[in-house]
Amino acid sequence: MPLRQNRCINREFEDIKLTYIVTDNCILCKYTDCIDECPVDCFYEGPNFLVIHPDECIDCDACVDACPANAIFSEDNLPDEKKEFLLLNEQLSLIWPQITDTKEPLPDAEKWDGVSGKLQYLTKTSLET
Amino acid sequence: MTRKEKYVPSATESTFLATVTNGKYDRDIITGLKKFFEGNVPQDMQGFYSEEELAAILELDGTERDLQARMPVKITRHYFERAKTSKAIQTLVKASPKETYDLDGAEDPGKQMTYSPVEGLIHKYELGLIYVAATCSAHCRFCYREELIAKKDITREDGTVAPKGLAQIKDIVDYITEHNRLVKENDGRHPETSREFLREILMSGGDPMVLGNKNIAQWLSALAQAGIENIRIGTKELAFYPKRFDETFFSMLDAFHEAYPRTNLRMMVHFNHPDEFLLTDPDGDYIPHPNGGLEWVPETRTAIQEFGRRPWINIDNQSPIIAGINDDADALRIMQRELKRNGVENHYFFCGRDIVGHKAFNVPIERAWSILNESQKGLSGVEAHARLSITHYKGKTEVAAVTNTPFPGVKGGENGVVIFKLLRSAADAPDRCKVTIVGRNEEAIWFSGYDDRVILDEAELYAMYDIPTLNAIAAE
Repeated sequence: MPLRQNRCINREFEDIKLTYIVTDNCILCKYTDCIDECPVDCFYEGPNFLVIHPDECIDCDACVDACPANAIFSEDNLPDEKKEFLLLNEQLSLIWPQITDTKEPLPDAEKWDGVSGKLQYLTKTSLET
Repeated sequence: MTRKEKYVPSATESTFLATVTNGKYDRDIITGLKKFFEGNVPQDMQGFYSEEELAAILELDGTERDLQARMPVKITRHYFERAKTSKAIQTLVKASPKETYDLDGAEDPGKQMTYSPVEGLIHKYELGLIYVAATCSAHCRFCYREELIAKKDITREDGTVAPKGLAQIKDIVDYITEHNRLVKENDGRHPETSREFLREILMSGGDPMVLGNKNIAQWLSALAQAGIENIRIGTKELAFYPKRFDETFFSMLDAFHEAYPRTNLRMMVHFNHPDEFLLTDPDGDYIPHPNGGLEWVPETRTAIQEFGRRPWINIDNQSPIIAGINDDADALRIMQRELKRNGVENHYFFCGRDIVGHKAFNVPIERAWSILNESQKGLSGVEAHARLSITHYKGKTEVAAVTNTPFPGVKGGENGVVIFKLLRSAADAPDRCKVTIVGRNEEAIWFSGYDDRVILDEAELYAMYDIPTLNAIAAE
């Protein structure tokens, strides 16, 4: 799938047109409630994190309230310290498989929900199928 | 979060659903004005809002006149391309402070939520309307589904707050099955509402065409399996992103037709202005095709032709007449002619509803009638099928005629009268084709503009609110 021109030329965060972003509190939780809500199946799944495909998202806002971990933000509400997730969502959605059905959260989801600094645990490799 | 009981598809549905694939779409959507404020939009979009416009909008942010809280701003790349050279489309899709100058209006003008027996279902007329998506690819500023798109609470007449969530397949199939069971047991009429079988469902929202093929296919097959004979899809995607109607979509439809050959599809499309589908030359004029008709945006025409190849699918256009967008007889004439030529029936034109902020959009009723009437002069009979409809609480009402012949002795009568005709009424349509006649008021943008000049009220459009006719007042 071709990337948008402006992304290829300049990969500064400000130039990425992505409007909904999954952020760090999904890591190691992966509740997947968002999957049920997403009308266009634009979530992609890694071993311990989910991301939104920027081109496929239709900006309906449904996933934001669905996430028990409050991990999803619209770009306009994205806190500055989470800006790096813009690029992560874009990159990982291109290599991870699509997820269309909800599944059980990760085993220690409750324990990890709300823990700060989870980015260091993000596994970027593709999910083994 | 509690898990809802899932709908279990039948074998026929499962076999069909296994064949469906989702296409890939890059709508290139811009949501929100923040990107425009910060100059963070592609180069060619930078001037879409002028600096003055942006400053005026920004001033209202966070106030009760906040434009984005009223209706989020959203546009696709395709629609932006059409808007660049069209004032009409710009008015349709660009936020403007005039929207909230006057906040008069109703949150739920048709009182639709009173007719919502199940979350996401409106069952007012003989057909059922379901909300299957809470967004569209782009947002019309005049949208009256504010409660769904901008996520607002609607209080019903009885004081309860209506569930505004989306329809779930299982809930809807259960409702249809139970409704039709009761009808069958009661000799073809529902014991309470006297409705006949529920045969038709309108998939609406939002726009169902923002959903993926698999999701749409689940709805189509579940509704067909439940006995629905006609499924409508209400969509503006032909204007916002016609490439959505791609091979994967039509393959899905063909497989659906194979599985359910007796179920018809009725595409209820939404074009407001010919600029949405016709090409223009550098002077802004439409381009005649050497073999007749005008040149279309190719992908829009291709999509319509694909529908036309399938005899089990009808396409009907419906559009409100909105100030600054299509209150223009010439534009409407061209639109009706070109749509009909290309296989799209002209169904209704609507008077704008009295939504919050409606005064920025609504054309006075008598003027809307006159514009449509003017637009249909010069059209052949089959091109001029569309009627002007205004949605009363009782049902769809036609603005049948506005006379210029004086009707002396009544308020407004010195200029003539307006004749309303009820086209549909709720439940089993007991009042179909009854009329109401009022003295003229050229400023009226809603029924309430005639409260003091009701001459005859067979349809009881006013009586239901205890508004008497002039004769009744005189008799007192």
